[in-house]
Amino acid sequence: MSVAALHKVDLKPKDYKSEVSVVWCPGCGYHGILNSIYRALSELGVDYANLMAISGIGCSSRTPYFIKSYKMHTLHGRAGPVATGAQLARPDLAVLVTGGDGDGFSIGGGHMPHMARKNVNMTYVLYDNGIYGLTKGQYSPTSRPELKAYTTPYGGPDEPMNPLLYMLTYGATYVAQGFAGKPQICAELIKGALEHKGFSYVNIFSQCPTFNNIDTVEYYRELVREIPEGHDVTSLGAAMELARRDAEGHAPIGLLYKVDRPTLDERLHKIVEKVGGHPGYDVNKIIDLARP
Amino acid sequence: MAKNDLIIRVAGEGGEGIISTGDFIAAACARAGLEVYTFKTFPAEIKGGYAMYQVRTSPERIYNQGDTFDVFCAFNGEAYEVNKHLLKPGTAFVYDYPGGDFEPEIPEGVIAYPVPMSKTAKEMKSYRSKNMVAMGALSVLFNISEATLKQVLTNKFKKKGEEILNFNLQAFDKGKELGLALQKNDPWRVADPSDPKDVIVISGNDAAGMGAILGGLEFFSAYPITPATEIAKYVATHLPKLGGTLIQAEDEIASIAQVLGASYAGRKSMTATSGPGLALMAEMLGMASMSETPVMLVDVQRGGPSTGLPTKHEQSDLFLAIHGAHGDAPRIVLSVEDVKDCIDMTVDALNIAEEYQCPVLLLSDGSLAFSTQTIPRPDPASYRLVNRKKWDGEGTYKRYLITDDGISPMVDPGTPEGMHIATGLEHTETGAPSFKPEAHESMHAKRFNKIKPIVDRYKPVEVDGDGDADVGIITWGSTIGVAREAVARLRAEGHKVKGFYPKLMWPMPVAQYESFAATCKKILVPEVNYQGQLSHFIRAETSIKPIPFTICGGLPFTPIQMINKVKEII
Repeated sequence: MSVAALHKVDLKPKDYKSEVSVVWCPGCGYHGILNSIYRALSELGVDYANLMAISGIGCSSRTPYFIKSYKMHTLHGRAGPVATGAQLARPDLAVLVTGGDGDGFSIGGGHMPHMARKNVNMTYVLYDNGIYGLTKGQYSPTSRPELKAYTTPYGGPDEPMNPLLYMLTYGATYVAQGFAGKPQICAELIKGALEHKGFSYVNIFSQCPTFNNIDTVEYYRELVREIPEGHDVTSLGAAMELARRDAEGHAPIGLLYKVDRPTLDERLHKIVEKVGGHPGYDVNKIIDLARP
Repeated sequence: MAKNDLIIRVAGEGGEGIISTGDFIAAACARAGLEVYTFKTFPAEIKGGYAMYQVRTSPERIYNQGDTFDVFCAFNGEAYEVNKHLLKPGTAFVYDYPGGDFEPEIPEGVIAYPVPMSKTAKEMKSYRSKNMVAMGALSVLFNISEATLKQVLTNKFKKKGEEILNFNLQAFDKGKELGLALQKNDPWRVADPSDPKDVIVISGNDAAGMGAILGGLEFFSAYPITPATEIAKYVATHLPKLGGTLIQAEDEIASIAQVLGASYAGRKSMTATSGPGLALMAEMLGMASMSETPVMLVDVQRGGPSTGLPTKHEQSDLFLAIHGAHGDAPRIVLSVEDVKDCIDMTVDALNIAEEYQCPVLLLSDGSLAFSTQTIPRPDPASYRLVNRKKWDGEGTYKRYLITDDGISPMVDPGTPEGMHIATGLEHTETGAPSFKPEAHESMHAKRFNKIKPIVDRYKPVEVDGDGDADVGIITWGSTIGVAREAVARLRAEGHKVKGFYPKLMWPMPVAQYESFAATCKKILVPEVNYQGQLSHFIRAETSIKPIPFTICGGLPFTPIQMINKVKEII
């Protein structure tokens, strides 16, 4: 996010709550993720007028409604490119994208690589519950084949993707994973993501008690392992090794990868500098290039 | 007999310098104070294939590419084969012989000028000089000002060094000698140079790029597509000079999404595409309607559907432009007639998007995209720029406040107390989601009513002619330029005809259509698409019963086609 938007105000987590009531089911992991976002924003002292919270469509994409900030609730799968445009228009502001596994990796999957490789200076928090909740329980790109869901009554025919490997491969400069059942860790990872200059991606496992009856809180507690101390976050190889999961199939939680690389807005600014661009440039010079 | 309005067609294999030959001749004529209107077709192949460039030049204003050519210069046998049916008694035919790859049969009455272009180039040990040889011959045969041609060549080649420049000038002079050795037997000659005018020579696509610059554009997101990509190239080259940026997105969906995001964040933003890209953008344009976000896009139409005829001319996106969204999604659609409009109406479209806070689509087409025309040099000071209505900071901010004119003030992110949501969900005045009947009905009314006044505010439709007429021609896009000439020629022959040339396609200025039609016995609607798309809207929105006149062969109308049709129905 933009450093300019940080360390401006002294607000409590509850000060970032909007007047809109949260609509998620009781027991949904998203409540914990939302609280982690409030806490991260508070700890960083982000001025909410300098924050743009942007989402697509899905349960998690309702998040901007619950945050006091500038916000956009856009189309299914398109939060990323909308946020890219907003970020490039106002690189002095902070941009937070929230969305789900279906929104981000199925319909929006074509955009993910490009936000990562272009290093768009924004934070993407992906609420990964392995299900489409808003449309009442269909199989998603992170669903396990064992899941018998609305459109897969006999179980799923395909393998789930690995979001961490995907984002590492495409060049995200901050890649982390949390679990909604561990809100303290989530808040730290989101805070780190918001502070990071470049494209930061946080994958957060979450239970959907209403539609996903196999990825339960208990399942995730068994699945996740905190990344051991001493992991080199600047090593892409080490991050990928963690993302592949260990021999017992445990999934890492914590910060896997963090490196610095010029952001897209910085590179675009360089182009403007290179041509000596400024708003007062005499357009007559451009017009005269078309004289015969 | 000398003829001032002259059309020269040059054709050959892509990569042989056909396009640059045409560009040089056009620039030389413009420098000599003449009007120019060019038309070109080029292959969809990556390399090679048939390429054609036609220059029409006259001391008088030119509105279209003309009926057919007076002078034809064939660089190879394929060019001859493609065009031989158009060689008529009186046509001057310059061709690569001897030493070329063909020996044409000369139809009776065609005036033949064999010029050994390839042979001469081979003797100079540079195949690339073939077009210079051709130009030298054309220059002397048809009175294309040698002085201005050489100025244009010098400007072009001096950057590449003295040696290359001199080599090209030598090849030109060789061609000139070859031309001088021929007996001139035809009346065709370019008008003599007059005082140079304050003009620019520019293509439709570059002009749209220039319009974006003049219109105060700040952000452009592009995705490559024929025949629109040159707009992005122009903007990518020049917008950074003014501190703005162009980015290339991963697809058209991302382009329009980035435009929407940048516009929400306060920047004047646009994209440019063609039909296939516009089809992909349909959902996001609906979001722009619903969230009342200003977005502007240029659609350079091409032959469709699907991949269709990517490099060919067609006016077949009117349905998609006006109604290509789910739900009831208001938008404003404009269409350009010529290169000058590409500049002026790009400025207008950016202004209108800001003023009415909705999607604005500007339609251009494939022949205009690459047509270069002489137009008066634009004066930046003459353009009035409009920015969105902003919140005054008083009271509690409501993004979708119901106002008398339906326009709700906007506020830029970063402004304290202006926080709000731009949403694709139906909503109340504050942006809070609401699925109540009264919310959907009142917000629909707001979104549709706010754009209605443009029918009276945007420039009135131009009516060509007074009084009553036997036939009134209603047409749109670059076909207007053809209608102008057809109407003038028919009138000169004593026929009672009129023209009606809309630039605002949607919402339709229905009253203006009706009052025009009331003065005409019959209404003819020529357009380059299969279904008669404008005819369809006229039947749907007005009481007029138009006679559709459609062609869809990948080429624009010619004036004579339209004249013959009018005579048939009159």
